[in-house]
Amino acid sequence: MNLKKFIVPAIVLAMGTASFSAYAAEKVVKIGNILPLSGPSASVGIQGKQAREMAVDEINKAGGIKALGGAKLKLLFADSKGDPTTGVTETERFINTEKVSILTGAWNSSVTYPATQVAERYGIPFVVEVSVRDTITERGFKNVFRIAAKDSWWTRDQFRFLADMQKEFKTPIKKVAFVYENGDWGTGFAEKWRGLAKAAGYQVVLDEPYPSTASDLTPVVLKLKRSNPDVVFMTSNAADAILLTKTMTDLKVNVKAIVTSGGGHADPSYLEAVGKNAEYLFDIVEWETDLNRPGLKETNDKFKKLYGYNLTGEAVDAYAAMYLIKDVLERAKSTDPNALRAALAATNLKGGKTGLLAYDSIQFDQTGQNKNASLVVVQVRTGKDGKMDRISVWPKNVRRAGYKVVFPQPGK
Amino acid sequence: MIGYIESVINGILMGSIYGLTAVGLTLIFGVMKVVNFAHGSILMVGMFAAYWFIKLTGFNPYLALFVVVPMLYFFGYYMQKIVIKPIFEAEKHVREPITVIIVTTGIWYVLDNLALLVFGAEFRVAETSVTGKMVEIAEMYFPLAKLIGLGLTLLLGAYLYWFLKHSRMGKAVRATSLDREAATLMGIKQSRIYNVVFGMGCACCGVAACVLVPFYYVYPTVGVPFDIKAFVIVVLGGLGSIPGAILGGIIIGIIETVGAQFMAATWTEMLIYAFFLVVLFVKPSGLFGLKQDY
Repeated sequence: MNLKKFIVPAIVLAMGTASFSAYAAEKVVKIGNILPLSGPSASVGIQGKQAREMAVDEINKAGGIKALGGAKLKLLFADSKGDPTTGVTETERFINTEKVSILTGAWNSSVTYPATQVAERYGIPFVVEVSVRDTITERGFKNVFRIAAKDSWWTRDQFRFLADMQKEFKTPIKKVAFVYENGDWGTGFAEKWRGLAKAAGYQVVLDEPYPSTASDLTPVVLKLKRSNPDVVFMTSNAADAILLTKTMTDLKVNVKAIVTSGGGHADPSYLEAVGKNAEYLFDIVEWETDLNRPGLKETNDKFKKLYGYNLTGEAVDAYAAMYLIKDVLERAKSTDPNALRAALAATNLKGGKTGLLAYDSIQFDQTGQNKNASLVVVQVRTGKDGKMDRISVWPKNVRRAGYKVVFPQPGK
Repeated sequence: MIGYIESVINGILMGSIYGLTAVGLTLIFGVMKVVNFAHGSILMVGMFAAYWFIKLTGFNPYLALFVVVPMLYFFGYYMQKIVIKPIFEAEKHVREPITVIIVTTGIWYVLDNLALLVFGAEFRVAETSVTGKMVEIAEMYFPLAKLIGLGLTLLLGAYLYWFLKHSRMGKAVRATSLDREAATLMGIKQSRIYNVVFGMGCACCGVAACVLVPFYYVYPTVGVPFDIKAFVIVVLGGLGSIPGAILGGIIIGIIETVGAQFMAATWTEMLIYAFFLVVLFVKPSGLFGLKQDY
């Protein structure tokens, strides 16, 4: 038997089938996600990853992107480890090797800042769901769109909240202290705090950065105690938030209020770890489980069933980002970066799945910042079941019905 | 003034725990001439073991010592026997086998990622009978858990000192450390000494783990900051010196805590390394290091 006669057609046939099946395969839209999946901010990275997976699963099950013939969304994840260099390398890999249509991430502002720069250079749209550093959307970039509020809004609302509390409870505040991690995020907040404190006429008794990877924060707490402030503003990741809270309770630091900035203090494992030590703490967040939003309960129940914990601000932003991308693709009717960018800029997304957010709609201004993003202040209290509960208290119109705010906090 | 005294004492307390994490590292280095990069991960394994022991039994946290210390001893013993020994044999003629360093780095990555896979990225805190308990002396507050840590550090240091100076096994360990060929010729089985030393080095991590768990959090990469400090402490105190490791740890603790009272906490790290460089400049072998090279 002439083998050649048999093998050659077989190969041709095999190649033909392969190319045919590739052609017949469903069209997919690749979304590149850069997140800290290991390292100190891994827990928030994983929240974002799980929320994205749930959203994309829902979108694909509901028929994908109709304007693109039912194309399915495909998530690609890269672990930045919270490290800017890794974030940049992964962004380039996504664009050059994986040929993604759109990028999201990267949670750590210090990673998002250079990563968005790479995306801008290649002209690939980048949806920033959480990173709050102001300058991310203030560089005149055309491809960067941020859903969350930026950090100047966070700090602005922290001071507004403090002013409102003083009025409501007639307790004047004079001395404030700043304690913050020395990354982009913490130092960015501190810069804004200084200006706001000066404008409000507070005396700053301590302005203390600390390394987020410190193995012991007793030195910082000792210094804080000696400075004797009325209010402490804090910006911390989860590990240092736990250490600071425990050490402050141990060393009996007495202040009228502690105002934190989400991040580590909003991490579910934080309250689990510190328990009653966090009582009366005020935390500013973009979102909270007890908000009165349509469809929140069902989505939260589904999320909890899948992953075993309640939705977090990070998770909701990531979830909304996927629905934003769906909306954008439907309107762009293409995966071309230019069309996507134009569609993103024209976004006016109300209700639906993005209605879980604390504000009513997503609309981007000229810099790519969602101009409707707003914030909520919560107070931590022991719930009826003995577990710690986060209760929305500010602005006054979202305050949980019947809740009495404790301000100033009782001495320890 | 009281604030500064409080910070000095707190520095000593935290420093003794740094010393505790460095003791095992210096012991392994002193005898085997191997830098164990997996040291922090072994500490982390010990912390998870102590955490689960406390969580599941609800016993006094220091009873975990009786479980975690032997567990890590055998862990280290068999790790050296199964993973590290073959490399020593393959590189018999090399004085400082570099491949071993790579292997310990590999173990570090495997253990950290295994912990992430098994336990997830949550921060866990054990509520124990000493957690949050403070000792008040003249308006100064000190955590009871750290005072116990200081006591255990001194006890462990004293025990290791006695072990190396007076026990038969300790003498064999010292002989191997001085000259492994000569020791082998005198009938000391080198690989067994290495097993024991690696086991003991890991067991020291077990003590540190049980001291940390009552007031610290447990997390897959919790060992990393302690690891980095331990390396500095080992060199600062003198390679292979037990008292050097403990004293080095305490010095670093004091610099870190007192330094932060005069400058931003982010600068104390610089202060530690500046001090480190000065010591190396004045006495290259470290504070307690011997003159002869390793």
